[in-house]
Amino acid sequence: MPEPVFLAQQVLNGLSFGALLFLLASGLTLVFGLMRIVNMAHGAFYMLGGYIGVVIATLTGNLLVAVIAAIVAVGVTAFLVEVVLLRFVRGQEMPEVLLTIGVSFVIADLCLAFFGGDPQNLPNSVRIPGALAIGDLVYPWYRIFVIGLAVAIGVALALVQSRTRVGAIVRAGVDDREIISAMGVNIRWVFTGMFVVGAALAAIGGTIGAGMQSILPGVQNEVLLYALVVIIIGGLGSVAGAAVGSVLIGLIDAFAKAWIPELAYFTIFLPMALVLVFRPTGLFGKAA
Amino acid sequence: MSNRIVETRTVRTFGPPRRDRAQMTNIALLALLLVAAIALPYLGASGFMVSLASTILIAATLASSVNFLAGNGGMVSLGHAGIAAASAYGAGWASRQGLDPGMQVLVALGMTLLASCLYGLLSMRTSGIYFLMVTLAVGMLIYGLAFRLSSVTGGENGISGIARFEWLDSYWIYYYFVLGVFVLATAALWIVSNSPFGASLRGIRDSESRMRSLGYSVRSYKLGAFMISGSVAGLAGLLSVWHTHFVSPSSAGVDRSVHLIVMVILGGIGTLLGPLIGAAVVVMVENLLSSYVDRWPTLLGLIFILVILFARAGIAGSAGKLFRRLRARSKAASSPEGDAPGGAAAPPGDRHAVHQGKDPQ
Repeated sequence: MPEPVFLAQQVLNGLSFGALLFLLASGLTLVFGLMRIVNMAHGAFYMLGGYIGVVIATLTGNLLVAVIAAIVAVGVTAFLVEVVLLRFVRGQEMPEVLLTIGVSFVIADLCLAFFGGDPQNLPNSVRIPGALAIGDLVYPWYRIFVIGLAVAIGVALALVQSRTRVGAIVRAGVDDREIISAMGVNIRWVFTGMFVVGAALAAIGGTIGAGMQSILPGVQNEVLLYALVVIIIGGLGSVAGAAVGSVLIGLIDAFAKAWIPELAYFTIFLPMALVLVFRPTGLFGKAA
Repeated sequence: MSNRIVETRTVRTFGPPRRDRAQMTNIALLALLLVAAIALPYLGASGFMVSLASTILIAATLASSVNFLAGNGGMVSLGHAGIAAASAYGAGWASRQGLDPGMQVLVALGMTLLASCLYGLLSMRTSGIYFLMVTLAVGMLIYGLAFRLSSVTGGENGISGIARFEWLDSYWIYYYFVLGVFVLATAALWIVSNSPFGASLRGIRDSESRMRSLGYSVRSYKLGAFMISGSVAGLAGLLSVWHTHFVSPSSAGVDRSVHLIVMVILGGIGTLLGPLIGAAVVVMVENLLSSYVDRWPTLLGLIFILVILFARAGIAGSAGKLFRRLRARSKAASSPEGDAPGGAAAPPGDRHAVHQGKDPQ
C-alpha cells in the first residue's frame, strides 16, 4: 500500500474518532465550565443514548428519529438527576461528583438489565452507505459525516456562546454567578439547562458513535476516560480546548493503533501527563 | 478575591478533652470487634464465612488506605484499585516465573512503590476534583496495561494458581494473618494520622495556600501521603492475590475503585472504623445479596446516593454523632450547667465529613 494513502486513511480515522470525542468532551467541559461539576455520569449518558439510539434506529430505520429519541430520553434523565439529586448539594464540589458516580453506577447497571451484555451497533440500513474514493483512498461516508456533524455542532456551540443572549448569560455565569443572579437571571434553571444540554451532546455522541464503535457494558468508563483526557489536555471548561484536545487525541490514537497496537491505549496518557506537568490548567484553561 | 478571606477556615485545634473520650469508646469498640473477629473461626463459622470475613478484611485494608488520603488530605482517589492490582500482578508475575512467595513479596513491593510513585508524581500538583480525575486516569492506565499487555499479565484471563507461603495454607490461619495485617495497617495509619505529619496534611486539606505560605512543601506532603497510602493499598493487593490465588484486570477497574470510595463514604470518611464497616456492607451486598437480587450494582449505587444526600458522615460518623448527642442530652438532663454545650459544638465527626470547601488556590 502506498504511504500517502495510508497516512490519509489514518488522518481521517483520527479526525473521525476525534469528532466523536468532541461530541463527548464538549458536553462534559460545558457542564464543568458553568457548574464546576465533573459529571462522572457523562459516560453513562453516552451509553444510554447509544442503546436507545440503536433500538429506535432498528425499529424505525431512521437515524434522525433515533438521535432525537436518544436526546429526549437522556435529556429527561439528566433533568431528573439535576433537579432531584444535584440541586441538594449545589456548590459542594466533592458530593456533586460522588453523586454523579452513583448515578453512573445505576444507569450502567440498568442498561445492562434492559439491553443485555451483547455489543450493539447501529444497523447498516441507517448508516450513510458507500465510501469516498479518491485514487487509492477509500473512506466510508459515514465517518466523514461524523466529522461534519462534529464541526457543525462545534460551530453552533461557539456561535450560541458568543452571539446569543443565552450564551452571554452562560459566559457571565461562568465568571460570576452572584452578579448574574442578582441581575434577575434564575441561575438554577440555567444550570439545569446546561446539564441537560451536556447530556444531550453525550446522547448524540452515543447514537452516532454506535455507528463507529460498539455500545456494550463497560463502554461508559472507556468513553468517560477519553473525554476526561481530552478536557484535561484542552483545559476544563473550554470548548475550544475540547476541540483541540479531541483532534490531538483522535490523531494520536489512530496512529498509535496503526503503528504500535499493543501500546495504543497508553499513548493517550503521554500528552495528558505532559500537559499536567507543564501546564496543569490545560492548553486553553484559565488559572484556577 | 474577597472569597479568599471569607473562605479560609479557622485552624482546628487537635485533642480537645472530649475527643479522648470518643477515642476511648472507639478503642473499646475496636477491642470488642477484635475479640469477635478472633473468635469467629471458633464459633462454628463455615469455611465460606471465614473466607468472606477475609475478603471483608482485605477490602477494609484497601479502603482504609483510601480513607487515610481522603480523610486527612481531602484527596479522594479514584484509582486506588490500580495500586493494589499493580502489587497483585507483581506477585502473580513472580509466581508465574516460578519464584517462591518471598520473592513474590519483593516484586509486589517494587510494583507498589512504582505505581504509588506514578500516581503521586502525576497528582501531587492537583487537588480536589483534578486529583480525582488524574487518579482515575492512572487507574485506567493500569487497567489497560493489565488487559492489553497479555504477554505479562495473561490479558483477560489474568493469572491464576498463585501460591502463598506454605505455613499460610490453611484457610483459618490465613484469616488470622489477614486480620493481623489489617490491625497493624489500621494502627499504623492511625498513628500517622495523629502525628504532626497528619496534622500538616489536614492543614493542607483545609487551606493549601496558607500552609504554603507558612513554608510547608505542600507537594512533598501530598506525595508522602500518597506513598504511605499506596503502601497499604499494595499490601492489600498482595493479601487479595494470596486469598484467591488469582488476579484479573477487573481488580484494577474503575468499578473496583468506585467500590472503595463507596466503602469509605458509606462507613464514614476519616473515621477509624469507617472502612471496616463500609467494606463489610459492600462485600456483603456483593457476595450475599447478589444471589437474591440481580441488580445489586443498582442497589449499591442507590445506597451510595442516599448516603451522600442524607448521611454524609457515613455509618460510623453518624453513629458517633448520635452517640454524642444522646450523651450530651443525658448530661444536660442531669446537670443543667454542664460544661459541654450539647450539640452546639461541632461534633468531631463533622471534621471528617466529605471535604467540601473550595480550596483557594
